[in-house]
Amino acid sequence: MRRGDRSVLEHLTFALAPGSLTALVGPNGAGKSTLLQAIAGQIPWTAGRIAIDGELQGAASQRCARLALMPQRSEMAWHFPITVRALVGLGLLAGKAEHGFRGPGSRATGSRATGSRASGSRASGSRGPCCQVEAALQRVGLQDLAHRRLDQLSGGQQQRALLARTLVGQAPLLLLDEPCAAVDPPARTALLAVLGQLRDAGLTLLVSSHDWGSDLEAYDRVLVLDRQLLAQGTPDQVRQTLGDMRMAPHGCG
Amino acid sequence: MVDSGALGAFWWAVPLMLALVIGLLCPLTGTLLLVQRRLFQANLISHAVLPGLALALALHVDPALGGAASGVGGALVADRLSRNTPATEGSHEAVLNTVLAGFLGLGVLLIPLLHLRIDLEAVLFGDLLAAGPSDLLRAVVALAAVLGLLVWRYDQLVFLGVDPAGAAAIGLPVARLQGLMTLVTAFTVVSAMTAVGVVLVMALMGAPAVVALGGALSLRAALIRSAAVGLAVTALGFGLALVPAINLPPGPLIGVLCLALLPLADLTKRWR
Repeated sequence: MRRGDRSVLEHLTFALAPGSLTALVGPNGAGKSTLLQAIAGQIPWTAGRIAIDGELQGAASQRCARLALMPQRSEMAWHFPITVRALVGLGLLAGKAEHGFRGPGSRATGSRATGSRASGSRASGSRGPCCQVEAALQRVGLQDLAHRRLDQLSGGQQQRALLARTLVGQAPLLLLDEPCAAVDPPARTALLAVLGQLRDAGLTLLVSSHDWGSDLEAYDRVLVLDRQLLAQGTPDQVRQTLGDMRMAPHGCG
Repeated sequence: MVDSGALGAFWWAVPLMLALVIGLLCPLTGTLLLVQRRLFQANLISHAVLPGLALALALHVDPALGGAASGVGGALVADRLSRNTPATEGSHEAVLNTVLAGFLGLGVLLIPLLHLRIDLEAVLFGDLLAAGPSDLLRAVVALAAVLGLLVWRYDQLVFLGVDPAGAAAIGLPVARLQGLMTLVTAFTVVSAMTAVGVVLVMALMGAPAVVALGGALSLRAALIRSAAVGLAVTALGFGLALVPAINLPPGPLIGVLCLALLPLADLTKRWR
């Protein structure tokens, strides 16, 4: 992948197993957000292929009903006058926009069954919008704070609210961009527990992080990225690989 | 100041109605712009209407149309120049301020160059008591446009305000929404020109919005509150202007009342 005349990502091959929780770790500027946005079809890539459920994804502007991207917290206007419940409800607008405001160069992706354990959870798509919002709030444990204004929540609670907005569309593949950033350790532990529950419910999660510590044990697999894929495997395998190489990605502590 | 012969004893009716419509219109537009972090654009547009106003008068077309076109033009010029300017700290603001001053200067220069007779003071600070039915009609149309935008695109405007990058990512028509906001801002400014002038309009767009946003649980609630506050301020300003003992122009009075509102913003955080 190139940005201008600069290569931002290269030599990158990996697969995500359905119903798995994968960490994408690397220092700032490693290309984690770029990779997630490319998978989500938000930015074009210049070479290579991305397939979801075996179906190749278009190179640009392609929205995919089978995935949802949770943005970094720095991109959000946290002081906007909105309740947690209303924020989560906005996730449903993403589905409407998907069908109503498609760009001229994009193609329909269809809604083929994923074949993953997530198929069961998607079967609940026939529920009304209110039920979907309440279900998403319950999954992240924010049902009691749903009436609160967004800027009255702690950082960890705000991240969970954003996660609920990502969940409400019932996409089986979730791409989470630094969900644990600027969150204190207890809140991070709680958030990782929620991610584990989502994995257990059959969702496939790819979670970017620049943390390189004991939190990695919460993940099934780890991808180490620094403009290229340095290592991949279970947390122990990745530590072993990087240890053998006598290196860790720059800035990962 | 007032042509009492034309409207008889009810000469104040049209100016009062205009004050009330402006009292709704400006805070609604201001709140929308504030939550989209685009309130400065209203300031730019309010100063950029002058060249269009002068040209329209010279060409004998509706000054409001010329002013609105000029205001939108100023916003577009500022947007283009901002993109082409190296992204250093504060460069965006510098470009906006320069375009603002440049358009205002151009308007002032056009007045003698085109041999126009414009009451510049009325344009800048308003002359509410001299308002006529066409001013009122213009303001009502602008209010309908803002309400239409809010009803038609409410959810999208909320998404755009809370998560601008996400709005673009999911395919919302961000450029179209921002273009519509620029358009209604320009029409709001020219509609309020008679009432409070292009300079004082900023107070009526900003202060009620700031007061209303504290503690509001939704954009809808903030809009309703800001409109209520704006209505109260313009009614009070108009009423004070008619008190013989005061006998001051209503536009500046409304501006000063808006200033007095700001300390209330801290109190309204608990206003639910």
